[in-house]
Amino acid sequence: MNLRLGSWYLLVGLGLVAAGSAAAPAIAKPSPSQTARQVDRLLAEEVFSADSELAPRVNDATFLRRVWLDIVGDIPTPEHVTAFLLDPAKDKRQRVVQELVANPQYGQNWARYWRDVILSRRLEDRAAIVANPLVVALREKLNDNQPWDEIAAEFITATGDVKENGATAILVAQDGRTEETTAEISRIFLGIQIQCCQCHDHPYDQWKREQFHELAAFFPRIAVRPVVSPTRRTLEVVADDRPEMRRRANPNAEGRRGEPEHYMPNLDDPAAPGTRMQPKFFLTSADLPFGTRDAERRGTIAEWITRNPWFATALVNRLWAELVGEGFYEPIDDIGPDREPSAPKTVDFLSRSFAESGYNVKWLFRVICATEAYQRESRPRRETDGTPFAANVAQPLRSDQLFNAILTAVDVEEPEAAFNRRGRPAQMMNAYGRAPSIRQAFEVAFGYDPSDPRETVTSSIPQALALMNGARINLAVRAIGDETVLGRLLDEIPEDDALIGELYLRTLSREPTDEELGVALEFCQATKNRSAVFEDLFWALLNSSEFSRRR
Amino acid sequence: MKLKLEHHVHARTNCDCVVHRRDFLRVAAATGAAAGMMSWTDGICLSADDLRKRGMACILLWMGGGPSQFETFSPKPDHENGGETKAISTNVPGIQIADTLPHVAKVMDQLAIIRSMTSKEGSHPRASFLLHHGYLPMGGVKFPTLGSQVAHQIGKPAFDLPSFVRIGGRRADAGGAGFLGVDYDPFVLQNPERPPENTQPATRDERYARRLELLERLEADFGSVEGADIVADHRKLIRKSSDMILSPRMGAFDLTDESDSMRDAYGRTQFGAGCLLARRLVEAGVTFVEVNLEGWDTHDDNFNRTAQRNEMIDQPMAQLVTDLRSRGMLERTLVIWMGEFGRTPRINARAGRDHYPRAFNISLAGGGIRGGRVVGETDVGGVEVTERPVTVPDLFRTVYTALGIDADHENMSRIGRPIKLVDGGEVIRELLG
Repeated sequence: MNLRLGSWYLLVGLGLVAAGSAAAPAIAKPSPSQTARQVDRLLAEEVFSADSELAPRVNDATFLRRVWLDIVGDIPTPEHVTAFLLDPAKDKRQRVVQELVANPQYGQNWARYWRDVILSRRLEDRAAIVANPLVVALREKLNDNQPWDEIAAEFITATGDVKENGATAILVAQDGRTEETTAEISRIFLGIQIQCCQCHDHPYDQWKREQFHELAAFFPRIAVRPVVSPTRRTLEVVADDRPEMRRRANPNAEGRRGEPEHYMPNLDDPAAPGTRMQPKFFLTSADLPFGTRDAERRGTIAEWITRNPWFATALVNRLWAELVGEGFYEPIDDIGPDREPSAPKTVDFLSRSFAESGYNVKWLFRVICATEAYQRESRPRRETDGTPFAANVAQPLRSDQLFNAILTAVDVEEPEAAFNRRGRPAQMMNAYGRAPSIRQAFEVAFGYDPSDPRETVTSSIPQALALMNGARINLAVRAIGDETVLGRLLDEIPEDDALIGELYLRTLSREPTDEELGVALEFCQATKNRSAVFEDLFWALLNSSEFSRRR
Repeated sequence: MKLKLEHHVHARTNCDCVVHRRDFLRVAAATGAAAGMMSWTDGICLSADDLRKRGMACILLWMGGGPSQFETFSPKPDHENGGETKAISTNVPGIQIADTLPHVAKVMDQLAIIRSMTSKEGSHPRASFLLHHGYLPMGGVKFPTLGSQVAHQIGKPAFDLPSFVRIGGRRADAGGAGFLGVDYDPFVLQNPERPPENTQPATRDERYARRLELLERLEADFGSVEGADIVADHRKLIRKSSDMILSPRMGAFDLTDESDSMRDAYGRTQFGAGCLLARRLVEAGVTFVEVNLEGWDTHDDNFNRTAQRNEMIDQPMAQLVTDLRSRGMLERTLVIWMGEFGRTPRINARAGRDHYPRAFNISLAGGGIRGGRVVGETDVGGVEVTERPVTVPDLFRTVYTALGIDADHENMSRIGRPIKLVDGGEVIRELLG
């Protein structure tokens, strides 16, 4: 009995037994590495040819920095790098990925990612008060590995105080406006940008203007209202299920109140009431009657969206693009039946596998990170006639990743929010409704919209100046007794070449090449002051483009 | 000779800057003429239209919150909606403005007023977005703001300061470069009286140079194969940033260069300093400067609060126009005074005025705009536009046209769809000389 129980647990532990409802027949879930091999086989079949020049497999050090930044949004410490390089185990790459998705920083990193996806397109600045509640709530869900369809449904159906329910983020970001909310939900969860037919029939797609407004008809009753009381200052998302009375002149002009039904504006006469639209899902033509209550409208469309194949493909395409550097569809949030993917069988297989996994996001990370496609060296982004997925592509770090990487490299704890001299939070409130932390100030300078094509995300002069001349960073690279990391290292490591190696490990998570060591040593010899030399080297490494990229 | 020209054109299109046809024509004209390679007539043909655009610049005085038209450029002293605000005569017979703008009244011959601006957007974020972009926000498309568009269209390709500087203002709906990319993002400066952040080299110049050289050499490995494109871009960025902070033109940011009498003439306020800095930056070659003054959202105590704001803008704005003119810069510098909407004709119970986009006013000067003119009219109570309504696209089309920019130019957005600088609208012909 004990033995049998033990082997049952063993099987569960190895992931050989599918989790799921007791009633469903147990289907053996393929392991991430099996699925990854199938992905690589399909890519070889439909994308690569005999003369495709595939970039070689990346070395262990670069792999480690890559998976750390991709999964937990930070760089490994020199100790982590050394331990990984010395580990003789053959499966150490899979193992480290498994450890990282189990690390709570995984949820933190990706919750911040989704915050950027949602709030980069916010219509109103004040929507930023949902940023923190969103990260806190989503962090737990991701760490608990709540299935993606459940998470999506919570976003689509959310109501209540935005400070208490982070899932209201998309609705608040779009100010409860029917058409804008519709466009964002379609873009984020289906990857389909149907909003372009808001005003006219879409020039390149099959969707008609009516179909956008039929989708919008699931969302007219949402309202985002300010709550101002002596004790509470917030926004709340409410469902406005008032019976349909006489119509106001322009129902779409205001987001303060919900409307019982959605009206498609008359393009020839904007002042006219327009056409009353019945809720209908453009991908399946399933519909709901007029008069349906908000909860049922949103609950139903959430189910229809998350059961649709494009729902799985949207996340697969997005995560694949983030991890491998190029999506099957580009831009990553403009997919759908009218677009031509670069590897149709592969994306189809991976999307179906993800759906069959029960929308298991951690499993999807493990699959993609196990593919050869992910583990190739980086190369500059291919030209349009180049072979897709022949190499990984180096990515600029998101603001939070870069901020974490700097803190780890200079060995400093994250500073608390700014306080004024009286010890109270500084007077100036920021968009988050709190005194801005240094992380938030950093985000203003370094943040970008993760949905934008990555090649369009370029560095700016203020960014370069902040890293080159910023007071904090210049203080952190200095050698000051045992107060700074460099001060301590200068003391501990008397040999120049060993100290150079240590600084490379701290910043780029790798050892210097022979040539780099030569350059650095030559630089050391040219200047007498040892502290100054290594301050300059530390400064140069932190300012290098390799530091602020995920190679 | 023709071949030479083509060579220059070709060379410009291949360089890293975003270059437009008119830009490389300009460069070709300049280079060719300098080298004596073009005939006199060629030079004239190339530059007739082009010379006019050369050095065109724009200063946007943004009045955040929505200034009351009744208390600025459209007083209605004879109607109850006009409240207690009095009108004064200006140096142009027949044009009266609010009596709390006495300095501005003396440069009325340089200003044009549009009293018939009209829009439908009465919420701050959407209206502010609209008046900054000429479009309403739309999910999925990141429209560039006016300053970025102008910098992109007529900014100087090889210039060591940013082409677009924004002074003050913290509203996200003022926008940035959007799909044009960070090259055209505003260089934001919170306080005009302090130099921009992080522009002091962290170390002595000699050591700074040493660090930059080390950085350059250490990027060789990543730059050789894996990050060839990234490192090339990064090196350019480091050079551009270093060029900027080490540029003698950085002095343009330093108001202490100005005489006491000049500082006094602009007024010793933050907005006055902002206007003076705007003039200095344009003089140094910056293409677009936005100077922000918030606080026009006068839901209560409208008359006192607007009078205080007027005091803040009156002297600086008049001096900006006067100063630009006396330096011969007004003809090539368009000055725009506007906010996101106007305020209600009816005065509310708290002596305030609420949001009113249906009929509001803005003012323009310089850049070839005919001064001493009023466009449009409202009814006796200022409720409805009765003559020559001007929409936001009309205004944007006029602004682009005054700056020598083709308002129908199409940019390719990031999702691959062409987007015009302005969608629709008509140029206000009577304002252009």
